[in-house]
Amino acid sequence: MHDDRYIQLAHGNGGRRMRELIASLFVRHFGDSLNTQRDAAPLPDISGDLMITTDSFTVNPLEFPGGNIGSLAVHGTLNDLAVAGAEPRYLTVNALIEEGFEIARLDRLIASLGDTAREAGVAIVAGDTKVVARGEGGGLYLVTTGIGTRVPRLNLGLEHIEPGDRLLVSGPIGDHGIAVMLAREQFGLSGSLTSDAACVLPLTRALHALPGLRFMRDPTRGGLATVTHEIREATGYGMSLEESAVPVRAPVKAVCEMLGYDPYYLACEGRVVAVVSEQDAEKALALWRALPQGADAAIIGTIDHKTGPVVLTTSLGGQRVLDELEDDPLPRIC
Amino acid sequence: MDEARRWLERIRALPIPPRFRIMNVCGGHERTISMAGLRSLLPAGIELIPGPGCPVCVCPEEDIFQAIRLALDEKVTLVAFGDMLRVPVNGPRSEPRSLEEARAAGADVRPVASPMEAVRIARDTPGRETVFFAAGFETTMAPVAAMLAEGVPENLSILLSGRKTWPAVAMLLADGQKPGQQPGFDALIAPGHVSTIMGPEEWRFVPGQYGLPTAVAGFQNASLLAAIYSALRQAQSGRIFLDNCYANVAHPGGNPQAQALLDQVMTVGDANWRGIGTIAGSGFALQPAYGAQDARRRFPDCSDPQRRRAGEMPPGCACAQVVLGQIYPNQCPLYGRACQPRHPIGPCMVSDEGACRIWWATGVREPVSPESVSSVESP
Ligand code: SF4
Repeated sequence: MHDDRYIQLAHGNGGRRMRELIASLFVRHFGDSLNTQRDAAPLPDISGDLMITTDSFTVNPLEFPGGNIGSLAVHGTLNDLAVAGAEPRYLTVNALIEEGFEIARLDRLIASLGDTAREAGVAIVAGDTKVVARGEGGGLYLVTTGIGTRVPRLNLGLEHIEPGDRLLVSGPIGDHGIAVMLAREQFGLSGSLTSDAACVLPLTRALHALPGLRFMRDPTRGGLATVTHEIREATGYGMSLEESAVPVRAPVKAVCEMLGYDPYYLACEGRVVAVVSEQDAEKALALWRALPQGADAAIIGTIDHKTGPVVLTTSLGGQRVLDELEDDPLPRIC
Repeated sequence: MDEARRWLERIRALPIPPRFRIMNVCGGHERTISMAGLRSLLPAGIELIPGPGCPVCVCPEEDIFQAIRLALDEKVTLVAFGDMLRVPVNGPRSEPRSLEEARAAGADVRPVASPMEAVRIARDTPGRETVFFAAGFETTMAPVAAMLAEGVPENLSILLSGRKTWPAVAMLLADGQKPGQQPGFDALIAPGHVSTIMGPEEWRFVPGQYGLPTAVAGFQNASLLAAIYSALRQAQSGRIFLDNCYANVAHPGGNPQAQALLDQVMTVGDANWRGIGTIAGSGFALQPAYGAQDARRRFPDCSDPQRRRAGEMPPGCACAQVVLGQIYPNQCPLYGRACQPRHPIGPCMVSDEGACRIWWATGVREPVSPESVSSVESP
């Protein structure tokens, strides 16, 4: 009994069904760069310092306002290269599909993946699919590797950060975290909030020419607070943040208030946190604000001159420490 | 935020008594206070005391023990609010001492964020017993009652551990009237979400019977500061009443529909609070008509009456005193030393609504000796 609308274990057995699935679905959406007749792909036209990153993607639900696991996988991988100061060029994609997954849905998600890669100008050069037995996977997992080249003369890293440097964020925080949570519908809440998932290349490219650019990171899992702790851990310096400067959209604030979440720990998928020298901070801000993606960018804090915690001055003028994330944030039950 | 600032200015313009202790009884309030750094902004003399506001912290040890036993039953999927998973019970290291440890040992334990998810899990696995460990205050019990009233899959049962908030405050106030005793606070901020369901009137006894200024507040800075202002003004003017600084949400009479569902599904009786003891009229239980859904009836072996006497706070943990507002979290000798969120000893360091956890997470690092109550280090 085979129902052609759903993925079956045979789609992963190396035989006819698998070949047909790859040809009719993956190759169709990924384009000519994917040559399925080779066991390994050459990377043409690439020179300079190569940079590589790898990531795996699980998200529940697989489709959410503003994106889906396919677009997220591309954005997430390219963004990791972008914030490291690289220009992404090539991508590989592995798909782990659960038996019983609807093929029409797979087609939609993989089409979105292909489109997203094309828009960003990267070629998908290699891939693999596996089918796991029903109950052994969350529908669809994607594993990606991104390859890019380092932008010449750009040397970014936590080790370049100095006291007095400024912290910038390219847009409102927490949109992705809350949008995905609302899409899960566990709280009977719904809203019009869209994930910020996007390719951050325009944002990172805009700052390449600034001599005072020290370090960039995309605040994904663990959010802005986690990036500040990575900086603190690596540099030993404390940090002061201004709550009133940190952009947070009203619906994100409202949901956080209702459920007891802290927006500083919520994931973003299309924002950049940058550390820039004091002299260049205003320039960086202007460059970002000139972009549609950076319209709400802000300078949110300063690297301290001494060791210490990440201190947030609240909008009322009080102070609190932004502690390192311990467990996954939970909604309040009281 | 401007509104909050205005309330703050108004508070600063008031004459402040040398010591004015305002208790809150909601983990959400304590979070807002700590996260906004309100303690550092208020005039000296005003103390904000976290009181019995953490349902996870007062959930009896024997209930958690039952949940662990159920989880270790191969035929059972145990679902619980995420906060409950790490709460420790007392026991030998060789046995799972929390739901999380039970899960690591192979038990099917799943964190949920709402009763709807528990129903969904039961529905998705027909033929397999799902037990929903429902611990919480009125705000949690109301949706649990609604869920049961609507009808749940046959394979779903409830391990109920629900508590009412006001009886704990009534107990503190009654104890405070005993010879040589004091209630330990001068004013009360009443919980906004509980009042939204049960009605603000539940708190009338605090100003009426005990003459303490009381104001209902929500979770926003402005609402909390308005309540603090109200309490100070009441004390100053001598006109003590129940104020409502959350009036746009907590309406007079509360939510009659939710109350009707609670009455339909649950009864109220005396109940044990971890480390504190039995508080009269403070616990929810299932009405006989819903007995078929009672996990304690469906799995009578999950409880161990022998343990009931052992069911207290872990040795050395001062959580009970913290919950009752008798000491600040950092006055516990273990705070920040043996007990941190990474390796919590008591439930107050586990739950996001526990005062110890909130204080640690918002930056209170200095332990304070129990003797120096008057110079408490605040976040
Ligand atoms: S610091 Fe830890 S041991 Fe002390 S009262 Fe709080 S939870 Fe208990």
